[in-house]
Amino acid sequence: MVKFLKPNKAVVLLQGRYAGRKAVIIRSFDDGTRDRPYGHCLVAGIAKYPKKVIRKDSAKKTAKKSRVKAFIKLVNYNHIMPTRYTLDVDLKEVVSVDSLQSRDKKVTAAKETKARLEERFKTGKNRWFFTKLRF
Amino acid sequence: MVTAKKTKKTHESINNRLALVMKSGKYTLGYKTVLKSLRSSKGKLIIIANNCPPLRKSEIEYYAMLAKVGVHHFNGNNVDLGTACGKYYRVCCLSIIDPGDSDIIKSMPGDQVLVAATVASEVVVSVAVVTIEVA
Repeated sequence: MVKFLKPNKAVVLLQGRYAGRKAVIIRSFDDGTRDRPYGHCLVAGIAKYPKKVIRKDSAKKTAKKSRVKAFIKLVNYNHIMPTRYTLDVDLKEVVSVDSLQSRDKKVTAAKETKARLEERFKTGKNRWFFTKLRF
Repeated sequence: MVTAKKTKKTHESINNRLALVMKSGKYTLGYKTVLKSLRSSKGKLIIIANNCPPLRKSEIEYYAMLAKVGVHHFNGNNVDLGTACGKYYRVCCLSIIDPGDSDIIKSMPGDQVLVAATVASEVVVSVAVVTIEVA
C-alpha cells in the first residue's frame, strides 16, 4: 500500500530499444496526460554502460572506459520493472517533458545527464546501477 | 517459501472470506490488473494460485514487497481459485482492493514476503527481463 514508483527509483526497462537498460525515474504521471492516457513516467537511463576499469589501466584509458551514454524517455508503467534500489541524482531541472519536444533540447538534456551520471559513477557509489544487467 | 500444512478448516475459512469479499468488497482478477493495483497502491492483499508460473509469481511478490502488501498463496490451482471467487473461469491471481465486510486482510496475511527473500527473487526478476526481451 506504499507508492513506490516515485522519483529517484531505479527501474529496468522491459520493452523498446532500451530493453534491459537501467534507468531512474525523474517524474511520474500516475494518471497520465491528455496525450498519454495511461500511467507513465519520465526516466533517464544508461544507453551505453561504462566499461570495466582495471588497475592496470592508464589514466587516459580509465577516462575512456568510464564514459556513459544516457537517454531520456517517457515510458509506460507496463514497460518498466521497478527495483528496490534508488539513485538520488538531481536531474529534475535538467530533464523535463519539454526537453523532449525538440531534437536539440533532447541532446543537451542527454549531455547534461551523461555528465551527472559519469561523475556519480566515478565516485563509486550506486555500483548496481552502473553494471550491465546480464541476460 | 515455507508453507505449513494447510488444514481443511483454514482453507475453508479462506474460501468463506473470499466469498464475502466477492459479495461486499472490491477486487480485481488477473495479472495485469493485479500489477496495476499494486502500482497505484490500491491493492491490500494479493492472492496467487499455486500453479502460477514461478516467474510471474516472483514478479508479483516483488511488486508486493515494494508496495508493502501481503501476498497469500492460495492452496489450490487457478481453477480452484476461480471457483472460490464464484467465477466460471480460471483466476491465477487476484487483488483485493476493498475487503468490504470481510476480515480477510486482518486475519490472512500469514505469508508476507520478507525483505531478505527479495534478493533471491531479484535473480528471478532479471530472468523476467530476459524472457520479456526474448519474447
